[in-house]
Amino acid sequence: MICEHCKQRHASVTVTTVQNGQTVEKHYCDHCASKFHPFQTEIQEEPVALHQLISNWFGVPMWKNAQTEEKKTTQNACPSCGFTYRQFLKQGKFGCAECYSTFREQLPPVLSRLQAGTKHTGKSVAVSVEQLKQKIEEIRQQMQYAIEEERFEDAAKMRDEIKSIQHKLDAGGVDV
Amino acid sequence: MNIEHFLKQAPKCMMGNGEDSDIVMTTRIRLARNMANTRFPLSFSQQEANEVQEKLMKALLMPQEQLNFSYFRMADLSPLERQLLVEKHLISPYLAKHKEVAAVFLSGDESTSVMVNEEDHVRIQVLSAGLQLMETYERASELDDRLGKQVSYAYDEQFGYLTSCPTNVGTGLRASIMMHLPALTMSKQMNVLIQMMTRLGMVVRGIYGEGSENLGNIYQISNQVTLGKSEREILDELQKVVEQIIEKERNARKKLLERAHVTLDDRVNRALGTLRYARVLTSEEAATCLSNVRLGVDLKLIQGISPSSLNECVMFIQPGFVQQYAGTVLDAVDRDIYRAKYVQEKLGEDRLTTGEKGEETYDV
Repeated sequence: MICEHCKQRHASVTVTTVQNGQTVEKHYCDHCASKFHPFQTEIQEEPVALHQLISNWFGVPMWKNAQTEEKKTTQNACPSCGFTYRQFLKQGKFGCAECYSTFREQLPPVLSRLQAGTKHTGKSVAVSVEQLKQKIEEIRQQMQYAIEEERFEDAAKMRDEIKSIQHKLDAGGVDV
Repeated sequence: MNIEHFLKQAPKCMMGNGEDSDIVMTTRIRLARNMANTRFPLSFSQQEANEVQEKLMKALLMPQEQLNFSYFRMADLSPLERQLLVEKHLISPYLAKHKEVAAVFLSGDESTSVMVNEEDHVRIQVLSAGLQLMETYERASELDDRLGKQVSYAYDEQFGYLTSCPTNVGTGLRASIMMHLPALTMSKQMNVLIQMMTRLGMVVRGIYGEGSENLGNIYQISNQVTLGKSEREILDELQKVVEQIIEKERNARKKLLERAHVTLDDRVNRALGTLRYARVLTSEEAATCLSNVRLGVDLKLIQGISPSSLNECVMFIQPGFVQQYAGTVLDAVDRDIYRAKYVQEKLGEDRLTTGEKGEETYDV
């Protein structure tokens, strides 16, 4: 069979289209078919890296307010590690724990694509010895102020609080 | 304990006979954690890296904790030693690569390892034989609690445990089940099943890392989601999926036995012949033959080979172990020769020990 379009080469591709409920078959050669249906050829599946996926989903298209976006993201750099939102999109990783606070507003849409939700419902964190010690230090300072201001009742409460935390701390040390 | 202790044998936890151990080889639980007020390894300084190491040493090597960990800094290990730890799944390839900052704590029985300064500051990993999701998680969680009391974790009320990659945030939990699925692979059902599992939020990979797809018909199935579900929900879902796959594999094996008994018998025994008598074995061929022999043992078509020897072979056919066995660095061609020699020795031993006693009592 000869190609219906160029009428020169051997037809090797059959294109079936449905028009008004009627099936129409056309026969083209390779050359003409590829011109009419450039996307018929197999597109090689390339493995897409995760960070690319994230930026494909959430990256702001370059043509859209590229300049203002640039400004916004540079302003929005994480104070602890200097990561910008753009950098996160590019790498798919955060630089530090602080990033989660810095980009808190932007994260839910990102996370809801990757995860089952945007709120942690699992195990909650244990309070560390370090944190308990810090807490004691804070209360001790407040107690000092209270004493200076002669609010002795408050100071007594704080003393008891410190005692109970200290107790926890000691128990934790033995228990662990 | 010195590093040699961890390089000679396959982990004991891989040798045990857990539940469904004919199909499920191992259960692995990993928890990702970070220290509060320290930048993630992606952007931290060498000084911060050292601080993380020191804090964890204080917390995990305390005598009253009685954890009996051995501690190794990656920088102090040779490339081969690092590779062996990777091949044993005790550390990740990522950890071995970032040797300037990385370290690992290993328990004596090799069931527990704590990776330091991987993508996150802390990665707790617990390994057990067979299908034991809950039990293994409990062990990891207990260690996590003890560590959490000593060091302050980076934690957020909304997002849970904070991690470098948003795919780990929340619970930081990744549970992986390593399964041997020869019958499903032979009957070409795996592709459909993998698609199904992906839709259910599971990730399916090969055992020897990415790209190795289904070498030796071994698949690793793990949860994708870490946020928005509790640990128990994540583990229950994985458990359900794995149980279904086990049942499907059992059915497929039964059908193969019924419909193609001779072909199957021929195939598994040929594989045994290859392993016993080949003089050159590529890792692909070895993995395929080991899978077939394992299936033969499971279906009682082959007697006198213990599953633990096969488990050991699966690990020892990897390039690092072959070189350790040979005692020298080898190129690919020589590796294939030594691999054949090792497998032959290993399976020969079995014939001697089990042949006389008539039962599979050989234990390493």
